[in-house]
Amino acid sequence: MTLALLIGVVWLTFVKATPMIYAALGGTLSERSGVINIGLEGMMTAGAFSAAVATYYTGQPLFGLLIGIIGGAIVGWLLGFLATRFKVDQIVAGTGLNILCLGGAAYGLMLLFNQPGASPQVHSMGENYRYLVWLAPVAAVGMQWFLSATPWGLRIRACGENPKAVAAAGLNPLALRVMAVTMSGAFAGFAGAFLSVGELNLYSDGMTAGRGFIALAAIIFGRWNPLGAFAACLLFGLLQALQIQLQGHISWLPTDVFEALPYVAALIALVGAAGRKAAPVADGVPY
Amino acid sequence: MRRLVLLALVATAVLLGPVACTRRVGPHPGQLELGMVTDIGGLGDKSFNDSAYRGLLAARKSLGAYIQVLQSRSAADYQPNLIALSSGHFNMVYAIGFLMSRDLDDVAKGNPQQHYAIVDAVVDEPNVLSVTFKEQDGSFLAGALAAMVSKTHRIAFMGGQDIPLLRKFEAGYIAGAREIDPSIHVDVKYIGSFEDVAAGKEIAGVLYNSGDDIIYAAAGKAGLGVMDEVKNHRHDFVIGVDSNQDSLVPGKVLTSMVKRVDVAVFDVARAIQLHQPLQGHLELGLKDGAISLTNFAYTKHEIGKANLARLAAIKRAIIDGRIVPPDTREALSTFKTVPL
Repeated sequence: MTLALLIGVVWLTFVKATPMIYAALGGTLSERSGVINIGLEGMMTAGAFSAAVATYYTGQPLFGLLIGIIGGAIVGWLLGFLATRFKVDQIVAGTGLNILCLGGAAYGLMLLFNQPGASPQVHSMGENYRYLVWLAPVAAVGMQWFLSATPWGLRIRACGENPKAVAAAGLNPLALRVMAVTMSGAFAGFAGAFLSVGELNLYSDGMTAGRGFIALAAIIFGRWNPLGAFAACLLFGLLQALQIQLQGHISWLPTDVFEALPYVAALIALVGAAGRKAAPVADGVPY
Repeated sequence: MRRLVLLALVATAVLLGPVACTRRVGPHPGQLELGMVTDIGGLGDKSFNDSAYRGLLAARKSLGAYIQVLQSRSAADYQPNLIALSSGHFNMVYAIGFLMSRDLDDVAKGNPQQHYAIVDAVVDEPNVLSVTFKEQDGSFLAGALAAMVSKTHRIAFMGGQDIPLLRKFEAGYIAGAREIDPSIHVDVKYIGSFEDVAAGKEIAGVLYNSGDDIIYAAAGKAGLGVMDEVKNHRHDFVIGVDSNQDSLVPGKVLTSMVKRVDVAVFDVARAIQLHQPLQGHLELGLKDGAISLTNFAYTKHEIGKANLARLAAIKRAIIDGRIVPPDTREALSTFKTVPL
């Protein structure tokens, strides 16, 4: 019984962490290139919505996943474009995209299904979404390798530390940043698609429920390292899994205390992480 | 989060343009005139607003009423829409949903001659009729049914947010279950959101795996996650809420606890027609037919005739007042099962 409970908590930890991991990996990539990606939540929404729509019309959740990745990437490209071509404030642009995506998806539901709130049910991956859960650690290791050991990874990191040096080396830091943010959007779109056609079988307004923002916290807590962000997401996932288990077992504590637990822990973690190794030097600074 | 959604809807509203549709052929003199303002869910939500609209259509059909509906595309539309219908023509203006309560309060103060009715909230103005539901009545029946069908003697309640409205569901459900099986174990979990469908599914998985075989999901859209999870559990069931969700997963949704907003809207109109207008705070329950379980279209076989008969007996006992389902945790703690 206790072993089953333990396995249950571990599994739930990974399921809870998975969408946050994918979003955080994308966000890490973007931030290492020098673009703060506050729009992760919106890119997840775009991915979740487009994946559900594609799956609705084709009946193929794997195709839906692909479209979800593309949907997120388009929004990512938009942020990259705004951040480089127009040098807009990245926080403002990201926030605007978050609102645009939520509103766009709500509008899309009316347009396509004439039904507010949620899409009709679509074919989901069923039990196969487990593979996407186990893919998350692989993706984290892959991203760590990409950023630390490949030429493209090093170039992207150089953009985040000293874009002038990148330009001096004969590369275009702006193009590299756009590429990194677009890939970041692809990851976030995949995270959203995981929710809508992987774990679940529909798109519903607000279904990303702040996971993109928690992923941002995980990036900072993980000190802008993919494996660090991965570990931070697992920690947040574990806390959420535990709060579900604990709820109702200590009856004199209000439910809200349990629900707040993961977020309070995230705050404490962030405060603890602050002041140590800093963000990429040029993170958030338009070039 | 909610703010973001609202902002997003404002943006959407700008795209859609003003869509308040006014098709005014004009009422005859002396005809009953009814106005309605929907909340942002709007017509087509397959739930609250559509249900209210059905009530209005019924009033047109059987009371010969003239009706007009203004849809709200964003929260910013509530006041203008309410004011637009406050010209004095309408015998009653319905405000659908608790989201409108503050705006209605303002508008009602400014138009003391106009009569209003708000559904699912209490607005304390002399010219406003507040209509709320005894969700605990239907939840009591749902709990009793769950206790009859459960084979593990463990059932669960899953709420969206831990707020007084949801505790009416919780308390009624637990009391109903105890009425049938005093030693039954009821797990209570709150998602913390009405929108996080994935969390709804994950918590449902935890509950089913821990041995609970029926979940009463009063969690709005997040409840759709339970509807998805129950497919993975061959012997388990879910009970839906608000609208008839029985056909979402045929055979796995034992029943749905339905709030008949249409009945409320119609009854209010009929009372005006009969020159006995309702006033103050109206609380509708089983007796009024405003709260009910669905007709078990897919699950009669699972439940069995004997249990359906017991359920009918409990329903009668609630209507007679022999059973008073508790609507708070405090009332639940002093609730005594009633021998039938």
